[in-house]
Amino acid sequence: MSPGGAEGGSETSSAATKKHSKKPKYSRFTQQELPACKPILTPGWVITAFIFIGVIFIPIGLASLFASRNVVEIADRYDEDCVPSIYASDTLAYIRSSQTNKSCTKTLNVPKKMKNPIYVYYQLDNFYQNHRRYVKSRSDKQLRSKANEYKTKDCSPEATVLVSNKEMPIVPCGLIAWSMFNDTYGFSLNDKAIQVNKKGIAWKSDGEYKFGSDVYPKNFQSGVIGGAKLNENIPLSQQEDLIVWMRTAALPNFRKLYGKIEVDLEVNEKITVVIQNNYNTYSFGGKKTLVLSTTSWIGGKNDFLGVAYLTVGGLCLFMAISFIFLYVVRPRPLGDPSYLSWNRNPDGLFFN
Amino acid sequence: MISILSSTPVSPVSPITNVLPLSMVLFVSLVKEAWEDWKRFQNDKTINNTSVDVLQDQKWETVSWKNLQVGDIVKVKQDGFFPADLLFLASTNADGVCYVETANLDGETNLKIRKALEKTWDYLTPEKAFEFKGEVQCEQPNNSLYTFTGNLIIEKQTLPLSPNQLLLRGCSLRNTEYIIGAVVFTGHETKVMMNSMNVPSKRSTLERKLDRLILTLFVVLFCMCLIGAIGSGVFLDRKYFFLGLRGPALSADMNPSNRFVVALLNMFTLITLYSPIIPISLYVSVEMIKFIQSTQYINNDLHMYHVETNTPALARTSNLNEELGQVEYIFSDKTGTLTRNLMEFFKCSIGGELYGTGVTEIEMGEAQRNGIKVDEVHKSSNTVREKGFNFDDARLMRGAWRNEPNPDMCKEFFRCLAICHTVLPEGEETPEKIRYQAASPDEAALVAAAKNFGFFFYRRTPTLIYVRESHVEKMGKVQDVPYEILNVLEFNSTRKRQSVVCRYPDGRLVLYCKGADTVIYERLAEGNNDLKKTSREHLEQYGAAGLRTLCLAYRDLCSDTYENWNEKFIQAKSSLRDREKKLDEVAELIEKDLVLIGCTAIEDKLQEGVPTCIETLARAGIKIWVLTGDKMETAINIAYACKLINNDMKQFIISSETDDIREVESRGDQVEIARYMRDAVKNQLKKCHDDAQNYLRSLSPPKLALVIDGKCLMYALDPSLRVMLLNLSLNCTSVVCCRVSPLQKAQVTSLVKKGARKITLSIGDGANDVSMIQAAHVGVGISGLEGMQAVMASDFAIAQFRFLTDLLLVHGRWSYLRICKVVTYFFYKNLTFTLTQFWYTFQTGFSGQRFYDDWFQSLYNVIFTALPVIMVGLFDKDVSASLSKKYPELYKEGIRNTFFKWRVVATLAFFALYQSLIVYNFVIASSTNSVDSSGKMFGLWDVSTMAFNCIVVTVNLRLLMMCDTITRWHHISVGGSILAWFMFILVYSGVYTPRGIYSVFYVLISTVYFYTTLLVVPIVALFGDFLFQGVQRWFFPYDYQIVQEMHRHEPDSSSAGLLEIGNQLTPDEARSFAVAQLPREKSKHTGFAFDSPGYESFFASQAGVLAPQKPWDVARRASMRSRAKTPRKN
Repeated sequence: MSPGGAEGGSETSSAATKKHSKKPKYSRFTQQELPACKPILTPGWVITAFIFIGVIFIPIGLASLFASRNVVEIADRYDEDCVPSIYASDTLAYIRSSQTNKSCTKTLNVPKKMKNPIYVYYQLDNFYQNHRRYVKSRSDKQLRSKANEYKTKDCSPEATVLVSNKEMPIVPCGLIAWSMFNDTYGFSLNDKAIQVNKKGIAWKSDGEYKFGSDVYPKNFQSGVIGGAKLNENIPLSQQEDLIVWMRTAALPNFRKLYGKIEVDLEVNEKITVVIQNNYNTYSFGGKKTLVLSTTSWIGGKNDFLGVAYLTVGGLCLFMAISFIFLYVVRPRPLGDPSYLSWNRNPDGLFFN
Repeated sequence: MISILSSTPVSPVSPITNVLPLSMVLFVSLVKEAWEDWKRFQNDKTINNTSVDVLQDQKWETVSWKNLQVGDIVKVKQDGFFPADLLFLASTNADGVCYVETANLDGETNLKIRKALEKTWDYLTPEKAFEFKGEVQCEQPNNSLYTFTGNLIIEKQTLPLSPNQLLLRGCSLRNTEYIIGAVVFTGHETKVMMNSMNVPSKRSTLERKLDRLILTLFVVLFCMCLIGAIGSGVFLDRKYFFLGLRGPALSADMNPSNRFVVALLNMFTLITLYSPIIPISLYVSVEMIKFIQSTQYINNDLHMYHVETNTPALARTSNLNEELGQVEYIFSDKTGTLTRNLMEFFKCSIGGELYGTGVTEIEMGEAQRNGIKVDEVHKSSNTVREKGFNFDDARLMRGAWRNEPNPDMCKEFFRCLAICHTVLPEGEETPEKIRYQAASPDEAALVAAAKNFGFFFYRRTPTLIYVRESHVEKMGKVQDVPYEILNVLEFNSTRKRQSVVCRYPDGRLVLYCKGADTVIYERLAEGNNDLKKTSREHLEQYGAAGLRTLCLAYRDLCSDTYENWNEKFIQAKSSLRDREKKLDEVAELIEKDLVLIGCTAIEDKLQEGVPTCIETLARAGIKIWVLTGDKMETAINIAYACKLINNDMKQFIISSETDDIREVESRGDQVEIARYMRDAVKNQLKKCHDDAQNYLRSLSPPKLALVIDGKCLMYALDPSLRVMLLNLSLNCTSVVCCRVSPLQKAQVTSLVKKGARKITLSIGDGANDVSMIQAAHVGVGISGLEGMQAVMASDFAIAQFRFLTDLLLVHGRWSYLRICKVVTYFFYKNLTFTLTQFWYTFQTGFSGQRFYDDWFQSLYNVIFTALPVIMVGLFDKDVSASLSKKYPELYKEGIRNTFFKWRVVATLAFFALYQSLIVYNFVIASSTNSVDSSGKMFGLWDVSTMAFNCIVVTVNLRLLMMCDTITRWHHISVGGSILAWFMFILVYSGVYTPRGIYSVFYVLISTVYFYTTLLVVPIVALFGDFLFQGVQRWFFPYDYQIVQEMHRHEPDSSSAGLLEIGNQLTPDEARSFAVAQLPREKSKHTGFAFDSPGYESFFASQAGVLAPQKPWDVARRASMRSRAKTPRKN
C-alpha cells in the first residue's frame, strides 16, 4: 500500500472492495465455525451411561459365567508323581537318564459328564516360551519352503550341525523346535483304550501356510537332544504337535492342545492315563499338568470374562445409584453463574 | 538414537520400524521449514527487486536494489526509500538540504534535516554527477545509527564527513524532489541491517514445560529399563535348558556367566523396546497444529481484519500460539498503539455553557456498561470532517454563537484560540488548503477549531498575526484583522501555560493565556465564582471523559502597566544568566488577575475500542502496563482515558520532576545528580512500597497504580532497587512508565519476564518498541501503518489494539487449551501403550521380548492414533468465540496454567497406568484357556494383537471423551483411525510374511473371545476416566464448564457477530446525543492538554536525560516553510 493511501480520506468502503483487498475469505474452517455438537457430561448423561452399561453387561456376564461353569475340566499335575520315589531327590538324573522307566500311570475321576469332544491339553508352568531368545529362535522361511532350507540365521545354537565335516542345516531349526514337548499320554477306560485324535489340533492357517508340505525334518535332534524327535518321512505341515508347539505361548504358564477324545465320559468314570514322562521340566522347576476339558461357546473353563462383565455391570449400576443419591443430596444446578470462580466467594466453599 | 540402537543386534525390533516413523517426522518438519524459507525468500525477492535509479554513462538507469554496488551514484525521488546507506551529495533543495523521515528507525515522525557538503552540491544532473570522482574513507560498517565518521577526498581535498551526510537505508525522503547520493554501505552492511540483530528465537513457556515433561519421561524410561535390566540379569540361568544357553558362540547379552553384561546389554534392548514412551511425533504434530492455527485461523480471522487499512492479522511465527493464552502482563506503547496520535478539538465550555455533542470512547463504554443503548446516529455533517476538529454543535457554528447568552465571551474565546499560539500557517491562505505547523498536535487542533468557528488565522509575520474574522460585527461580514503580537510567553513544563500579549488594531491591549486548569485558576481575578464553579465542573466532566483540557483566560492591560512590565521582560530576555528562570518570574508578574473565558476539551483520540478492550483484558486477569516516551501528564491522562487508572485507585507517583531534584540538576554536577537521584528514587520507592504493603493489608485493599518516569526508572532498575520495584509494581493493577527510552522498555519487560516469571506480551507500533517486542515472551506489532520495524520484530501483527481481545481471549485461549490437550493426550497414549509392554516384560523373564509386532509399535503413533489428536488441536473449543469474549475471566485458567499443571499430568499418568493394567491383565487373564469351542489355544501374537486392538480402541475413544466439541472431522478421524487399524491388520495378517503375525487376526475374529473382550476392555479402561470426569464436572467444575452449561442451549452465535464486521461503525458515527446528555461522572483528574507528545530526540530520552525545552523559535520555523507536509501520525 502506498504510504499516502491510508490518509486518502475518500477510501472507506471502497478499499474493502478493491481488487487488492487483503480481507480474508470467509470459510467455516478458517473462522473456526464448523458445525459441531458440544457434548456436556451432565449428571444425567453420567447416570444414563452407567445404567446403560450395567443393563447390557450383566446379562452378558451371566451368560458367559454360566457357559464357563458348564465346562468340565480335569487337571492333574503329574511331574512330581511320575518320578519314582528313589529319584525324588535327584529328579534331574532320572529325567536325563535314558535307562530309567519313564512310564507312569495315573487315574482320573470324571466329576461330571463330559461330552465329546474332550480336549486333552498339557500345561507347562514356568516355561518361558516367550523369552526373547526363545521366540526368535526359529526360521519361518525354512518352515514354509524347502528352498529356504539354509535360512537358519536366527536359529543359533540349533541352526546347523556338522555332518561329515559339512555344516548342514537343521530342519526345523531353532530352539523352539528343538525343545519340543515329548511326553505322551495313553488313555484307557475300563481297560479299553481310548483313541486320542491328534488331527486338527493346530489352527488351520498354520498347517496350510506356515509349514510347508515339502519340508521334511532333517538332521533334527542330532546333537544335544532337547525334546521330541520328528518322523523324517512326514512333512512339517502334517506334524501338528510341532505346529502347536511352534505357536509360542504368550505367558510362561501355558496350555497346549495335545489331542481330542471323541467319546463321552460319564460321571465318576475312572480314566487311566499312561504317561510317558520324557520331558525335562525338572531342571527349572517347571510343572507339568494334564488337562481334560470340554468347551462351550466361550471356550474353555474361564470365569474371568463372566466375572468381569458382572463386576463392571454391577459397579456401573452402583455408580448410577450413588450418583442419583448424590444428585439428590447435593444438587448443583446446571450452569449456575454463582459457581464461576470469579463469582464465588474467595474463601467460600465449593458447595453451597 | 533409538533408531541407531534398533539397528544393533540387541534390539528386539527390526530397525526399519523405528527408522520409518522418525524419518516421517523429520520429513514433515523439513517440509514445513522449507515452506517457511520459501515464503521468506519470496519476501526478500520483492525487496531485492525494488528498483532504483543508478547513474550509468551519464544516464539514469533503473536497477533493482540487489544489483546496487558500493560506489554507485543513485537518485532517490521524493517519498522513496533509500536503498542503501548513501553519502548525501546533492539535493534539489537550496542549501543542499533534504528532509528524511526516520520513522522506520526510531519511530519519530518529525522530519530530520540532512545537509550535503558544500563541495558536492552541484552534482545534481546526470552529466554533472558523472564527473564526480571522489574517494570515501570511512569507518567499518557498524550498528550505531547516530554516528558516522569518514572523509571524502575529492580533487585532493579531504573533507570530513559526519552523520549529517549519511542517508540511512530504511529512511525515506520527504519534501525534496530528489537527491543524489553515493552508495557507502549496502545490504547487510547497512546500519539498519547491522542493527537488526538476529531475532531471538522464542519458544513458548508451554513448550519449555513440555521439554521438562519429556525429560521426566526419559527418567521414567530409564527407571523402567533399569528394573527390566536388573531383572534380566537375575533371571537368566542355564537351568532353562530350552533357551540353549550353551556353546562357545553364546552372545554376551545371553551369557549367564556375566550377569552384569547381560543386564547392561539388556538395558539397551529395553530402551528400544520402551522408546514409544517418548512421543517423537508429538513435536511435529504440535508444530503442524500450531502452523495451521496461525496460518489458517489467526491470519484469516475476519474479526481481526481491519477494513480501513486493509490489514488482516498476521502471525509471523507459529511457535507462540498457546503463549497467547497465558499472557499475564501486557506492555503497551502509547502513541500509535493506544492512541492515534491525533488530537481533535472536541468540546468546549464558554462562559459556563457547555458546547459539543460528541461522545468519547470512554463514555460509550460507560453507557454500554450501564445498559444504555447507543443509537447509531449518522451525522449529516460527517462530510466536512477535518483533521483536528471533531466538534459538532450548531450553536457555535456559522456565526450562531451571536445568539448565545455570552456572545462577547465567545468572541474572546475564539480570539484567544486564534491568537494565543505558536502555530505557523503553511500553504495557500484559504481555509480549505491551509496547513498548520505546530509543536504539538493540540495546538494545531485549537487553531483549526478557531478557523472552523470563523476566526481564521492565516498569516504570521514576526510581529503580526492575521485573522480573518467572520460574523463579528454582524452576521455574514468577513474582515481581515491584523493583531500585533507584542510578547510571547512560552509554554514549558513548569509554567504549564502560554500567554500572548497582543494589541488590537484599535489599540486594545490584551493578554491571552491558555494553560492547565490548576495554573490558570490560581491566577484568576477575584469574583465571578459562579463561572469558575461551573467551568470547574465542566473540566471535571471532560476529565472523566478522558479529554485533555485547557483553560482559556484573558486580561485587559492598560498601556502603563504593560510598558512597565515590558521593560522588565526585555531585561529578562536579554539577561545572560538564568534567562529562563528570569523570564518565568517576569511572566508571573503579568499573568495574574485573569478573566476566565472557558475551557477547551481536546480528545487525544484513542484507537477504536481501546477502553473496552483494556477493560476486557483487565477482567481476564491481564495487567496492562503503559510504557511510553511521552510526558508524565500525557501518560497519566491516557491512562485515565483508557480506564487503566481511575479515581478509586491509589496512585504512587515516582517522578524526577520535583523541585529539589531540579535544583540539584541545575547545579550541573553529574556525579552529584546521580547520587542524589539514586537516594531520592530509593526513598520514594521505599515509601511507596511500604504504603502499598499497608494498603494491601487493609480490609478492602484499594487498587494500586504506579506511575514512574524514565529517569527514576533508570535508578530504580539498578540491581539494588530492582527487587523493590518489582514487588511494588506487581502489587499494582496498572503501571505507567513515562519518558522511557526503548532500552528501558525492554528492561522493564525483562524485569517482569525474568524477575516475576510471568508471561509477558509487548505491543507497539514503532521502531522504538522493537526492543520491548523482542524482549517479551510474545511481541505484537501494530501493522497497517507505514513503519514496519515493529511488525518485522514482532511475533504477531495486528492492525488495532482492540484486536488483542480476539488474539488473546479467543485464539490464544483456544490454542492453549488445544495444545494442552494435545500434549497431555500424547503423553497419555504413549504411556498407556508402553506400560502394557512394560507389564509384559515381567512375564518374559525380563528378556525384552516385544509384546507387539514391530509394525504395530511404529505405526501406533504415526497412523493409528495420530489424526484424531490433530483434529483436537485444530477444532476443539470449549466455548464459542463470542462467549470467550463475553466471559474474559475464563482466560485466567490459562494464566494459572490450569490445564498443564503437574497435577493434570499426574492424573493422566494415573489413568494411563490404570488403563494399561486393565488392558494388559484383562486380555491376558481372559486368554489363559482355550478361547473357542474348538479347544485351540492362543499364542503370543494372538494375545498381543488382541491387546493392541483394545489399546487402539480405548485410546481413540478416550480422545472423544476429552473433546468439548465434536465435529464431523472428529468422527471421521477417530473412526478412521480405528478403521485404519483394522484394515491394516486385515491386510497385514492376511498376506504371508515370515512372522508370527500371519493369519493371527483371522484366527482372532473367528472366536467369540475377540468380541467379548473388545467390548469389555475399553469400557472398563475408560470407566475410571468417565467416573473422574463426571465427578470433576459435578463437584469441582471448571469455569468453562459452567459457561458451557449456561449456554448449552444456544447455537454457536459467533456467526451472527460476523455480520457486524462488514459495516463496522466508526466511533464517530456511533456517537449520539442520547449519551451526550447522560448524567456525567466527574473526575478529579482533569487531563491537561498542553504537554505535547514528547518529540524529544531519541538520544536524549535514551540517556535518561531530558532535552532542554527549546524556545519556540518562530523565525527558525518560518524559514522551514518548504516543509510541504505535516508530520504524519505514526
